[in-house]
Amino acid sequence: MTVIVLLIAVGAVVAGGFLAAFVWAVRSGQFDDTSTPAVRVLLDQPRRSAPQSKP
Amino acid sequence: VTTASSSVLDQAVGLPDALALCRHCGDACAAGAVRTDAGSFCCSGCASVFELIREHGLTQFYACDPDAGVSQRSALPRDADRFAVLDDPAIARRFVDADDGTFSYVTFSVPSLHCASCLWLLEQLWRFDEGIGRSEADLMRRTVRVTFRRDRTTLRAVAERLASLGYEPTLDGERAAGHMPPARRDLYLKIGVAGFAVGNMMLFSIPRYANGAPLDPTFQRLFDGLNVLLAFPVLVYSAADFFRAAWRSVRTRVMTLDVPVAIGLVVLFVRSLWDISTRSGEGFLDSFAGLVFFLLIGRLFQQMAFDSIAFDRTVRSFLPLSVRVATGSRMAMRRIEDLTPGDVIVVRPGEVVPADACLLDTQGRVDLAFVTGEQHPVPVQAGDVITAGARIVGEAQRLQIMRPVSQSRLTDLWNNPVFTQKPAHWLTTVSARFGRWFTLGALALAVLGFVAWWPDFGMASQVATAVLIIACPCALTLAAPITLGTTLGMLGQAGVYLKQGAVALDLSRVDTIAFDKTGTLTTAEATATVDLEGLDDRDWARVRRLAAESIHPVCRALAGRVAVEGRVHDVLDAVGEGIRGVVDDATVAVGKASFVAGLARAAIGPAGGRTWASVDGRVGSFALATPERRGMADVVDTLAASHEAWLLSGDNDDEAPRWQTAFGDRMRFRQTPADKLGTVQARQSAGRHVLMIGDGLNDAGALAAADVGLAVSDDTACLVPACDAVIGGDRLTLLPAVLRYARRARAVIVLCLVVSVAYNVIGLTLALTGRLTPLATAILMPVSSLTVIGLSVGLMRVRAPRWSGR
Repeated sequence: MTVIVLLIAVGAVVAGGFLAAFVWAVRSGQFDDTSTPAVRVLLDQPRRSAPQSKP
Repeated sequence: VTTASSSVLDQAVGLPDALALCRHCGDACAAGAVRTDAGSFCCSGCASVFELIREHGLTQFYACDPDAGVSQRSALPRDADRFAVLDDPAIARRFVDADDGTFSYVTFSVPSLHCASCLWLLEQLWRFDEGIGRSEADLMRRTVRVTFRRDRTTLRAVAERLASLGYEPTLDGERAAGHMPPARRDLYLKIGVAGFAVGNMMLFSIPRYANGAPLDPTFQRLFDGLNVLLAFPVLVYSAADFFRAAWRSVRTRVMTLDVPVAIGLVVLFVRSLWDISTRSGEGFLDSFAGLVFFLLIGRLFQQMAFDSIAFDRTVRSFLPLSVRVATGSRMAMRRIEDLTPGDVIVVRPGEVVPADACLLDTQGRVDLAFVTGEQHPVPVQAGDVITAGARIVGEAQRLQIMRPVSQSRLTDLWNNPVFTQKPAHWLTTVSARFGRWFTLGALALAVLGFVAWWPDFGMASQVATAVLIIACPCALTLAAPITLGTTLGMLGQAGVYLKQGAVALDLSRVDTIAFDKTGTLTTAEATATVDLEGLDDRDWARVRRLAAESIHPVCRALAGRVAVEGRVHDVLDAVGEGIRGVVDDATVAVGKASFVAGLARAAIGPAGGRTWASVDGRVGSFALATPERRGMADVVDTLAASHEAWLLSGDNDDEAPRWQTAFGDRMRFRQTPADKLGTVQARQSAGRHVLMIGDGLNDAGALAAADVGLAVSDDTACLVPACDAVIGGDRLTLLPAVLRYARRARAVIVLCLVVSVAYNVIGLTLALTGRLTPLATAILMPVSSLTVIGLSVGLMRVRAPRWSGR
C-alpha cells in the first residue's frame, strides 16, 4: 500500500507544478485582459515587431 | 479637402442632404457636410480622419464595420493645445506605467474605443508615428497602452495622434484607468490557491466518503495531516480579506456582511482541528476550503460586473486639470494642485475657477450654478472674490489666486447636494440599510441555533456555522446595485446617460412629461431665410461671430460650425431675449424685435416669427424654420396617450397648431425660465412625478426641480449640472422605450428581492433544523448570489433599448 504514498507525492508535485504555472501566468499579466484577445485574433494584419521588453 | 459650400449663408446653416451618409462615421450628412473625392462626410473632422487613415493605407478599418469611425462633429470646437498639459512631467507621470530611459509605457483612457475596427486601428499606431512601438487596446476598459521611444516622440504627441484619429484620450484628474488593478491579480491568485487546496483535499476526503466505514487509521491520519497542511494557506492567504474586513467592521462598529462570514470560517476551521486532534472525526476542512473558494469566485464575479458597468460610463469628470498661469508676459499651463496664492491665472469662458480668486479684469460674469445652484450668471467687478467652482461666462478673465486649491472641495462642488437633493427612492435605501440589521439577525439566529442543539457540540456548531453562512444578505444587497448598474450601462450604450443608477428608479414612476420645444421637439439645425436689408456680408459675419458666443439653439444654428474671426467683448446674454456685444468695435445685437429695437436706427417691422439683428444701428432679420425632429411627432403622441404631457416653450405660439393634437390645452408659450419652473412645481405639488426634457438653456431651474431632469445634448459640449440624465438629440425617439426599460428595472429589483428573501427563509429553516451540512451551504451560498446577479443582468440585457435608426 506504500504505493499510495508514492502516488500522493507524485500527484502533489504535478498539481504544485500547475499551481506554479498559474501563479506565473497571473503575475505576467495574462489574466489582465480576458476580452480583447478574443477579438484580436480575428483581425489579420501583420504587426511589426515591437519592443518586447516588459516593464 | 474642400468645403462644398462657400456662401455665408450655406456655411451658416448648411443644406440638408438626407441621402448621404458620412464615409467615416456613417452619420447622416446634414449641416456642415463636407464632400471630397473620397465621398461625403458629416463634418470636416471626419473628413480629415478619413484622409489620415487613407494616407497610411489603412482603409481596411472600414472593412468589417463601414460605420466604425467616431463622429468628429462635436470635436470641432476643441482647443488645439489642450494636450499641452502633458508636457508637464508631474502630469505626465499619471499616464506613465513605466519608463526605462529609452521607452515609455503609457496608458490612456479612450472612451470612444468601441469595436473591433477601433481595436485594429489603435494597434496600428506605429504606422502613423515612427517613435511609437507597440500599442495595445483593451476593449472592456477602453484603454490603449502605448510604448514609445522618448527620443523620437513625446507623450503629448502620442495623445495628439490618438485625438487626430478620433480617439480623444481623457485627461481626467484621476489616474488614467491603467492596466489591471493589482488587487484583481491578487484575487486570481487567492482563488488559484484555494482551488488548488480544495481539489486536492477532495481527493483525500473521497475515500472516506466512498468507503462508508472508517479508513485504515494510518491512511486516515495521513489524509488528515495533508488536509491540515493544505487548509493553512487557505486560512492565512486566500481568506485573509474576509478576516481583515470583519476586523475593520468590528473596530469601526459598522456591521457588515463580512462579520458572519469570518465567524463561520473560524468556527469551521477550529472545529475541524479539534475533531482531528482528538481523533473524534475527520473535520470539515474540505468544506472550509470549498467555502472560501466559492466565496472568492462570487467576489470575482461581482467585481467583474461592477467593472463592466464602470467602464461603460462615458459621462466623466468635469473638473479642470490645469490652468493657464501668466508669469510676466508668458503663459504657461500649470497643474491646479501647484497653484499658490498670488498666481495670476487666465480662465476662459466655460472653464471652472479652480480656487478662490480675486478678479483682476475690470468686470466679467460668472455662473455660480456649481456653487449655489443659481442659474443666472452674475456680474462681478475688479477686486471681487470669486469662489472656486464658479464658471466664467462671456470672456476670458484674469484672476489672482487667493487660497490654495483643494481638489476635494472641487469634487464636492460637483457632487453638491443642490443637484441631488431629491428624496432617494425607497428601494435604494432599503438595501443599503438592510445589511446591518440582517447581520445582527443572522448572529442572533446562529446563537439561538447553537443553544437549541446544545449539548450535542458537533451538531450545535454545525448548525451555527450553517446559519451564519447560509444567511448571506449578498443576494439582497446585490439586487439594486447590479440591476441599476446594468440599466445605466445599457442605456449608456443607447446614448442615454444617467447621472446615477437611482435615476432609473425615479424614471420608473414618472407620470407627467414636460417638453421644451426648441432643441427638443424641433431640431437645433435650422434653415434660415435671411433678409439682409441694411446689413452687408461683413456685418453678417459679425452677427454670426456674436452668435457663436451663445449656446441658444437659434444662435447655434446661426453661427454654424465654421469658425468666424473677430474679437468680442462686453457680451450680454439676456436669456430668452437675445444677445448683444461688441464685435470688432461694432455694437451687435441679435434677438427678439423688442430686444434689438433699442439699438436699431432703422424701423423694425412687426413681421412675426423673425429674429432681428442690428450692427451699429443697421438692421437685418432672418427667419429660422426649425423642422421637428424626425419621429418626434410619433413619440409625443405615444407618450401623451400614457402620460400627462406638457409643452413649455419660450417662443411665441406660431407653432401651436402643429402640436395641438398631442398636447391639447397643455401648451404654454412665451414662458420665462421661472414660468417653466412654476409649472413643474405646480404639477409636483399636485402629486405628479414630473420628467422635464429640455436643453438646459432657459429651463435649468425646471430641470433641477423635476423628479427627473433630462438634458438634450446635440453637439454642444455644454453641460447642465442640474440635470439627472443626458440624452443625445437624435436618440429622443428612444424615450418611450427608455421609460419602459426603467419600469422593467424596478420590477426586476422587486423580483430579485422576493427571490432572495424566499431563498433565505428556506435556507435558514433547513440550517436551523440541522439538515444542511457545511458543504451544502458552501455551494448554496454563492448559488444564491449568482442567481440574483444572473436574474438582474439577464433580464435587463434582453431587449434593452437600442438605437438603430439614424
